[in-house]
Parts: sequence; structure tokens; C-alpha cells
Amino acid sequence: MPAKTDIGPPYFKDFMSDLVKKNYGQWLYHEIEKPGVMVHVAESGDKLWSVRVGGARLICTDRVRDYCELADEFCGGHFRFTSRHNVEFLVEDQAKLQPLIDKLTAKGYPIGGTGCSITSIVHTQGWVHCHTPATDASGVVKSVMDELIDYFKGMKLPAQLRIALACCLNMCGAVHCSDIAILGMHRLPPKVDPEKVPKMCEVPSTIGSCPTAAIKPDPKTKSVKVNGERCMYCGNCYTMCPAMPLADSENDGISLWVGGKVSSARTAPRFSKLAVPYLPNNPPRWPETVEAIKNIVEKYAAGAKRYERVGDWIERIGWEKFFEVTGIEFTDKHIDDFGEAGSYGITTLRRTTMFKFTSHIK
Amino acid sequence: MAESKTPLLDELEKGPWPSFVADIKMAAKRKATTMDLLNVLELSYKEKIVHWKHGGIVGVMGYGGGVVGRYVDQPDKFPGVENFHTIRVNQPAGWYYSSTAMRTLCDIWDKHGSGMTNFHGSTGDIILLGTNTDALQPCFDDLSEAGFDLGGSGSALRTPSTCAGPGRCEWACYDNLQVCYDLTQKYQMELHRPMWPYKFKMKFSGCPNDCVASVARSDMAFIGTWRDAIRVDAAAVKAYAAGELKANGGAHEEHVKLDIQKDVVDLCPTQCMSWDGDKLSINNAECNRCMHCINCMPRALRPGADQGCTILLGAKAPILNGALMSSVIIPFMPREKMTPVSDELAEFIENTWEFWDENAKFRERIGEMIERIGLRVYLKGMGIKAIPQMVKEPRSNPYFFWWPEELGLESNEEEDDD
Amino acid sequence: MPTVSLGGKDLDIDEDGFIQDPEQWDEAVAADLAKTEGVDNLTDEHWVLINYLRNYYLKFGIAPMIRKVCKETKFDLKKIYELFPSGPAKGGCKVAGLPKPTGCV
Repeated sequence: MPAKTDIGPPYFKDFMSDLVKKNYGQWLYHEIEKPGVMVHVAESGDKLWSVRVGGARLICTDRVRDYCELADEFCGGHFRFTSRHNVEFLVEDQAKLQPLIDKLTAKGYPIGGTGCSITSIVHTQGWVHCHTPATDASGVVKSVMDELIDYFKGMKLPAQLRIALACCLNMCGAVHCSDIAILGMHRLPPKVDPEKVPKMCEVPSTIGSCPTAAIKPDPKTKSVKVNGERCMYCGNCYTMCPAMPLADSENDGISLWVGGKVSSARTAPRFSKLAVPYLPNNPPRWPETVEAIKNIVEKYAAGAKRYERVGDWIERIGWEKFFEVTGIEFTDKHIDDFGEAGSYGITTLRRTTMFKFTSHIK
Repeated sequence: MAESKTPLLDELEKGPWPSFVADIKMAAKRKATTMDLLNVLELSYKEKIVHWKHGGIVGVMGYGGGVVGRYVDQPDKFPGVENFHTIRVNQPAGWYYSSTAMRTLCDIWDKHGSGMTNFHGSTGDIILLGTNTDALQPCFDDLSEAGFDLGGSGSALRTPSTCAGPGRCEWACYDNLQVCYDLTQKYQMELHRPMWPYKFKMKFSGCPNDCVASVARSDMAFIGTWRDAIRVDAAAVKAYAAGELKANGGAHEEHVKLDIQKDVVDLCPTQCMSWDGDKLSINNAECNRCMHCINCMPRALRPGADQGCTILLGAKAPILNGALMSSVIIPFMPREKMTPVSDELAEFIENTWEFWDENAKFRERIGEMIERIGLRVYLKGMGIKAIPQMVKEPRSNPYFFWWPEELGLESNEEEDDD
Repeated sequence: MPTVSLGGKDLDIDEDGFIQDPEQWDEAVAADLAKTEGVDNLTDEHWVLINYLRNYYLKFGIAPMIRKVCKETKFDLKKIYELFPSGPAKGGCKVAGLPKPTGCV
């Protein structure tokens, strides 16, 4: 039967339980009972427990069917996903709570991701299914979470810590406001195929796609030329023009960014800032990346006061101290020379004598 | 036992975190061709480079988006994923599911595709990952029959998304689930048929904790807020002070006693609270509704009852000139104007689109356009008056413009020169 | 890259069926390309759209934005999808022999 178009998404209330519909908009408070287990209490006195389970973002239908079976057995068939790829089983009968937890544990599903934890990493497709990635996504995430899983299962950090990964600067994962962001980076200019460019690409759009005006028309070939010195490898031209690939086996890799957040609690939402400009792609386990992230998490856990997000901690101690405490090398890459859109004057230079003495000053 | 063809990826079956490799292998048991997804990924792991070709433009009849085309660069070696497109399916608001609906979805995908999915993609859609060109239309036909529709892609309205909302959260300051649903239904044309300079994202968060990261990720962000007093249960405040209730809503592993002075009052960004050891006082006129105190004491404090949302514009990821966060345009729209969708809300959205579509360059997000032409030009075009809530601080440079009419000159509207 | 017969010529197409050399395009090629997009007969209205896309591309080297297409052809978006059910980018641009539209998905 041919498709009806424009029917829109299914109505969300059709997928909710009677208890959720009854107490819709009438919730009074919630509490995290233990890591991964929350209870929401309604004005009616009804209670709803949510058991949060971490998962890979990339899952198969049989995994989803397993969630369905668990939901049928313990939750009247109702569950939801969080914005960070966690599954939440919605339990209405308290007697079923512990049996669900036991069964999830027996099946090896990690329970956690609430409160002062590291919850599941938001990420992109990477080598699994993207066409512009500078690194993989799922494999890096798996490797990092294998190492940090105790932080997922526990709530031992000063505040919540959100990690996100985007496999290139397009940032489908919009990682730019994360406590720790993992970002795939190219490091070589695109390789122009002058025969294909005029046929496959809109030359004016390709030229216009370059933020640094490094791409110029080449009247001889009707193709384009790239000024390698101006190129900062963002890959935007490749997005416009398939005949300008820039992925490279040896030079692509990962950068780490820290201190962003999206909530308005205490301080305004903030961008993440550059911590580590380059780590090599080292599949299958990316040990350098895992180690660098673990180091940041541990130094933050040891140094931050309760309620301080990573960015709050760093702003209190100062970035010079952050680089000293973590032992991350500070380089000229950390000094902004691109600036923010529409602004004059690099706002991140220190235009005061108010700095701290660290080992960087010999 | 035969030697594994994917030794590198097999490493990622080990370890405590759920393994996507295990799931791909599980899917391949149902559908043998899906094994080529693992095989091509193994090659990427070996060579440290991607093996998917650029772009791909495929779709279903009647729509200009909803499917992302993908082709492998070595089809002879990996015939199972020669063409391996992604279908974006519009998720239910707040990502609530029933097992019945979910099984239907799984059955459709097993029939037509690879069996691999994302729950969910970055924008919030259900991602059905990997099928061939011929399967797209039949898959869409079956999805539609089962009550599902495609999400957005390309230069269109992208699938709106929203947090758990009033379905399971006491902090939702407007019915973010309903308005997300209503607007998605209202703007099906804009969602399915790309017509704009570039993409446009809308996200709805019930409160300033912003669990869908709308301030960072959406061109138009709706963030719940209130304009009266924080509701206080004085007895519960005392219970927190006495350590009878767990600090921070139980967010710490050990039972931590809340120190109301140190943890709440001293960390309040506006210093609008005081605590005398017995009573918590809040000067609500000075509160900027950051949620910190409410997050700390969910049983004692709640958002006020005069609720609505703040509408912000302009967030985007770095491409082209840098990342932007959204900024305040409409400081407060009462919840009654959100659901049912009021004319005022619809006009704001549609006029904003019209202004952007008329003024933006090719591939220019609305935030970038505002950076280029100035917020004042947008405000004037929309007939919105400038107010201090729109800025963190006034400009510090002297390079500003006057409108001709402010100088008693004739306004000279630019001719449409293209 | 597959080669197929379109409008009596053997032409290279990419996997999405876009011709690889815009200079090889002619009206007979367009008619055959249209069939691959579910359009068996190209009417005068189809040609208004195809010619507009084609001429704009030849003049500026890019595909026009949809807003402009609607303004200049006087077709609204609904009408364009009636003419080319797979849309102006996949359907219209392909039949008009333009390079495959790119950009962010």
C-alpha cells in the first residue's frame, strides 16, 4: 500500500501508561534512590521508578526486542530513551523494581548515569556510516566507557560530567558545550581532483564554503586551487564538493575539549575549550585518548568542590593551573587566532597581570 | 574454528560497556549482508580511514528528505553494503515507547533493512541504519501504514525534539511534549520538503536545566521558565537542613547532608536567598531562575506557578565561522500560548522563517545571518522592540548605526537586486 | 562508474543516477532521466522548471535556492512536488543535468 505522506510522528500519549497519563503534568518531586534508579512522586501520591541503563547508540533490532521483553515483564511494556542514548525502564509496581535490577545486572546491562556520574556518551556515526569522519565514534566511545564505567555506575564525582564525541568539525553531535568533548580532526588540506571538480561540484559554492578564503578558482582547469597555508582543515569544502577529499590515514586524529555545559545552573551555558589538540587514531582501543580523558576526569574529581562542573572548577583555579594539574602540554594551538564570528579582538588573550605562577614560567 | 575476519573489532566485544560489535554480529545472524558493515568497518580500523563515499541523494516519493544516501567505496569487496542508506524516522515526543509499537518498528526494519539502528540520532530521530535503494519506498510504505513518518534532512525543518517533560518531570514549565508534537504536525511541509537556505532546528526543554541542549543545538530554542515566586515547602527545607532528605536530589552516592548556607545560598548566582538556620528567604524579584537551589532540594522547592518559556535564536555547531549559542529574543511566552499553539507563537515562528529565507545567503544558518546583518535588523524586520534581556551587556565599541528615520531622513529600503 | 544509455547516448552516471558531465545533457537525455524519477511525460510545466534550473546553473554555476525557483517559475513547492515527486533537488536537478546537490544532510 503506498505511503500516506505527512502523517507526522505517532502521538506520544499513545505510548504512555495509564499511570503516566493520569499524572501527566502533576509530578511533585523526584529523588535518586541509588545510582541509576530514580523515583518520581506525583501530587496524587502515585510513584514511578525509572531504571536507567547505558547502551551503545548503535544497536540491533534484537537488542531493542530485548528491551521490549524486559519492559513487558516489569513495566507493563513502557520504556523511554534519554537524550543521551540511555534506556529508562518505567516501573510502576515497587515489587518489580529489584527483580528488574537483578535481571538487568544478570544480563550485563550497566545501570547508572544519574546524578554525579558520567552518563552515556552522545556521539555521531564515525567510520560506521559517515562520509566525512576524521575518526571512528562507536569504537572510541566503547573504549572510553569501558575504562570509565565505574563513574557511570556510581555517583562519586563533584557534579555530573557529560562527554560527547563528534567525528569531524561538522559536529553532528554538537559536542561544543560538553564537560569533555572528543572531536575528530583532519590535519591536511583537501586533495583537489581538478578533472572532477568542474563536473561534480558547484564551483562558486565550493569557493564560498571556505571560512578562511583559502579556495580560489583556477581558470585554467575550471577547477579550484587551495592555499594550503590558509587551510585549517575544517572539511567544509569537502561537504560541498566530493572531489576534494581530506581524510588521511596517518594524520587524522582526535582533539579533546573541556569545560562546556548547557544547563543554566549557577553559571551560564559555556563552550568547551581546547585541552589536547591532537591524539592519534589508534584503533581498536584508542589508548592515548582513553588515558587523556581518564586523567582529566581524575584530576577534576580530586580538585573540584561539590557542585562544580568541570568548567566551574577550571575557571576557579585558572586555566594555567588546569594545564599544570593535568600535565597537559600547552601549545601555540591553544591560543586563538581565528576568533569568534562577528567579533573583533581575540577575547581569550589575558589582558591583565592577574595570573598564577605555575611551572610554565621558568 | 575459522579465523576471525575482524580481529580488531573483536577486541571491542570485550569489556563491560555494551558492545556495538556484538550487536552488529547479532543483526548479521538475521541478515547475512549486515556482516559487510562489520567487514568494511574492520578495514577502516586497519587503514584508519573511512570507506563510505561522499553524499548520496536518494529518497521516497513526495518527500525531499528523510533519507541519507550512503555508498561504500569498494562495492566489489563489500557487496552487502554497496548501497546502505539511512532512514530517519520521526520519534515520539520525549522518546516514550510502548513495546508493541517498538516491535512493529523492529519487524518493519528487519523486513526491509540491515537490522541496525540508532536510538537515537543526534537530532533525535529514530535512525534505521542501512538499506538499499530499492527497499526505501516499500519500507516507507510499511512505516506509514504502521503510523510512523520520516524525519527531516537537508535544508529543511529538522525533526523537532524535546525532553521527558510533563510525562515524567515536575520541572516542565510548559507542555513541551504537546507543543513539540503540535508544531511538528503543523509544519510537515517544511519538515519533509527542504525549501530554505539551510537547516533549521527546534528543540524544547521544559526548564533551564535544558536536557535536550536546546541552547547549544537549535536554531530556535524553547526553554521553560516562570515569572513568579519559587514555590517553597518550608517543612521540607527543614528536613533537608536536618539531613533527613538527601542533598542534591540524591545525586551523590553517599548520603550527604545538604548545607543550605554553603551549598545553596552561597552558590546562588544572584545572591537572592538567605538562610537563618530555620527559614529560607528568597527575593524572587532578583532571581534569574538558574535552577540550582531547586536542583539541590527538589522536595522543598519548585518552579513558580506562572509558567511559560523563553524563546532563543541562533545556535549552531562550528561550520562555517564558529559555533554559536542561541540568544534571547522572546523573554517570556506564557504556557497558555504554547498549547494549543497560539497565533502569536505561530506568527513568531513563521515570520522568523520568512525573514531568514528572504535575507540569508545559501547555507547560512539564522544565527550566522544575525551575526552578519545585526540583531537590530532582525528585530526591526520582525517588529520586536529591543530590551536589555537580549544582551549580556551593551556594546563597548562606538560603531553603531542609526536608522534614516531616526535622523529625519527618508528611509531608503534596498531594492531587491537579485 | 556505470554507463547507461540516455537519450540515445552512452553516458556515465553516478550511483544516484546523476549524469557526470553536464555538457552531455540535452532534451532527450532529460526525458530519459525523468523516467528514472517517476515522470513518464515531460509537460510544458516540467520544461518551465527544467529550463529555469538549467539556465540558472549555466549562468551562475550553482543551483538556485528554492525560494528563487518558486518566485521565478511561479510554482509553489506543492506544485513542484507534483511535477517531480522526488523533489526539486533529486528530481528536478537530476533531469536538468545539474551536478548532484551537496551540503549538509
